[in-house]
Amino acid sequence: MADGLFDQFQNWYEKRHDYARDWKARTGGQVVATMCTYTAEELLIAAGMLPVRVLGAHEPQNVTEPHIFGMFCPFCRDSLAQGLLERFDYAEGVTLTQSCIQYRQTFSSWRSNVPTVQWDYFVPMPNEVQSPHARKAHYAEIQAFRVFLQALTGKELTDEMLREALAVVDENRRLLRELFEYRKEANPKVTGCEALYASITAQFVDKREHNEMLKKVLAALPTRQLNRPEGVRFMTIGSENDDLAFMAMVESVGSTIVIDDQCSGTRYFWNQSKPEDDVIKAIADRYCDRPACPTKDYPVHTRYDHVLGLAKEFNARAAIFLQQKFCDPHEGDYPDLKKHLEDNGIPTLFLEFDITNPIGPFRIRIEAFLETMSDEELF
Amino acid sequence: MITAGIDMGSRSVKVVLLEELDVNGAPQLKYGVKKAYIMMPGDMDQDVAAEKAYDEALAEAGLKREDVSAVFATGAGRKQVAFAKEGVTEMTAGAKGAVFMYPAARTVVDVGAEEGRGMKTDAEGKAIDFAGNEKCAAGAGSFAEAMSRALQMSLKEFGEASLQSDKSIPMNAQCTVFAESEVVSLIHSSTPKNDIAKAVLDAVASRVCAMVRRVGIEGEVVLIGGMVHNAGFVSSLKNAMGVDTISLPDMPEYISALGCAMIAAERQH
Repeated sequence: MADGLFDQFQNWYEKRHDYARDWKARTGGQVVATMCTYTAEELLIAAGMLPVRVLGAHEPQNVTEPHIFGMFCPFCRDSLAQGLLERFDYAEGVTLTQSCIQYRQTFSSWRSNVPTVQWDYFVPMPNEVQSPHARKAHYAEIQAFRVFLQALTGKELTDEMLREALAVVDENRRLLRELFEYRKEANPKVTGCEALYASITAQFVDKREHNEMLKKVLAALPTRQLNRPEGVRFMTIGSENDDLAFMAMVESVGSTIVIDDQCSGTRYFWNQSKPEDDVIKAIADRYCDRPACPTKDYPVHTRYDHVLGLAKEFNARAAIFLQQKFCDPHEGDYPDLKKHLEDNGIPTLFLEFDITNPIGPFRIRIEAFLETMSDEELF
Repeated sequence: MITAGIDMGSRSVKVVLLEELDVNGAPQLKYGVKKAYIMMPGDMDQDVAAEKAYDEALAEAGLKREDVSAVFATGAGRKQVAFAKEGVTEMTAGAKGAVFMYPAARTVVDVGAEEGRGMKTDAEGKAIDFAGNEKCAAGAGSFAEAMSRALQMSLKEFGEASLQSDKSIPMNAQCTVFAESEVVSLIHSSTPKNDIAKAVLDAVASRVCAMVRRVGIEGEVVLIGGMVHNAGFVSSLKNAMGVDTISLPDMPEYISALGCAMIAAERQH
């Protein structure tokens, strides 16, 4: 938008590798490539590190075939490609917290084949977070991660350091939710593209800097005027999505994306930690309590009502499934989640995403979807 | 009142000039087609092709541009029709045209050159759901065309040959390029051309049918688009969808342009 309010977020996104290199030069800290939003960033921040989530580049690549199958999801393939192409050559470490098996293979290939990686760590977080044993198990894994980082850096990670890091991360979560609140309004002051720039950059920018920028934006929002038609209010649903070209196209044809259930958006920051005397418990439980990824949403499917609740709360007229091709966990949820939404008056559109997406054909589908919902009596 | 619908397909431009008729009490014939015109563009400039096709259609109908109240465009290249007043997607246009031709139609299957799609429609011809093939020609007419080339047959011969076969040979490849190598393997194993043709068209029909099932098969089924001319494909599609009849318009390529011209007319009121 012309007022440039979100330009810093966009600039961070577009030059994220430059940002990480610059951060490293000015702080002397280590950069850690993280591979899932279940990663307890609080520990890395407390250890003076910069967690940087590995994102794809949305460009054709030919380097992953020897390492992972072509029928693994495009996000996993694109994420591995970025490592193999040494786009993250500034990152000393790489870490994954267990989510899906395809991501696990990406992580394994990263640590085996990306030459600049000096250390790696895998957090085997339970997938069945609803189990009565899950919290205890995850507590132990977070504690083990702490011990590993202490040994790696040769410095103690005190409870005080962890509390300070947790406060910074929780503040980031709170500020992002404040920002997203503006999307509930009619003709929202924040577009879907802008919201995505804000939420995705939180996954690789120093949280303290990110918080300061969010505060500046939040201070300016009450008087902001966006001179654009609202159109149809959409929700997006899926795994990771940072295809800004797609988002911009959707918002250019008569719609506004007002909310999401994606790990590049709300699933990453929706809940804060709960007060606990034991800071490790506070950190560990927060990840068990967060809005679930389909890999961690059984035996009870908590997602369905959570997604419907978001759609209603943000007054979404319809939902678009951004299905990463071959993403089994999300595709498994799709039929029932689609039915759940449609039974409750939210029509849906299914689009299959790949590393690169065909904007032209997708535009036709979005426009046709809008036409099916048109209130105008054409006929 | 005369309106125009221009369907800018990926391989051809279709123009329908529609006249709204004054028929008191007649339930159906509210419109008459003044001219239906098709042109294969000779160059890459779709805007030039649209202008040329429109002018030629007008000339053949004995009309001038000022005689036309509104021009609407549809199809993959509809944004290129600079002189169109508005555009609608091919899903909306196809459903509208198909229900005009067949009022009981609730499932519309559109298989053109580069894309196949299925639409669910209401009684007014409004598309209420749709599904299309993603980034792949294996559910579309160009796939059948590529396979007929591999068998050194014309498209017409290809369709007719498949009707002579009663074999069901599964084609495993989902991709046009790999399917072609599968066809070559069948040729090398001396499989009769008729059986290969049927295998190919069964595979296309199966993919199209899978798409249509995503929106559900209800009411009368209408097939539109150029693949209607391929009798073998129509037969394979019937089998795949498990329906006794599929309604086939006489001029199937024009249905989306027709629907587009109808929407243009209705939006003038």
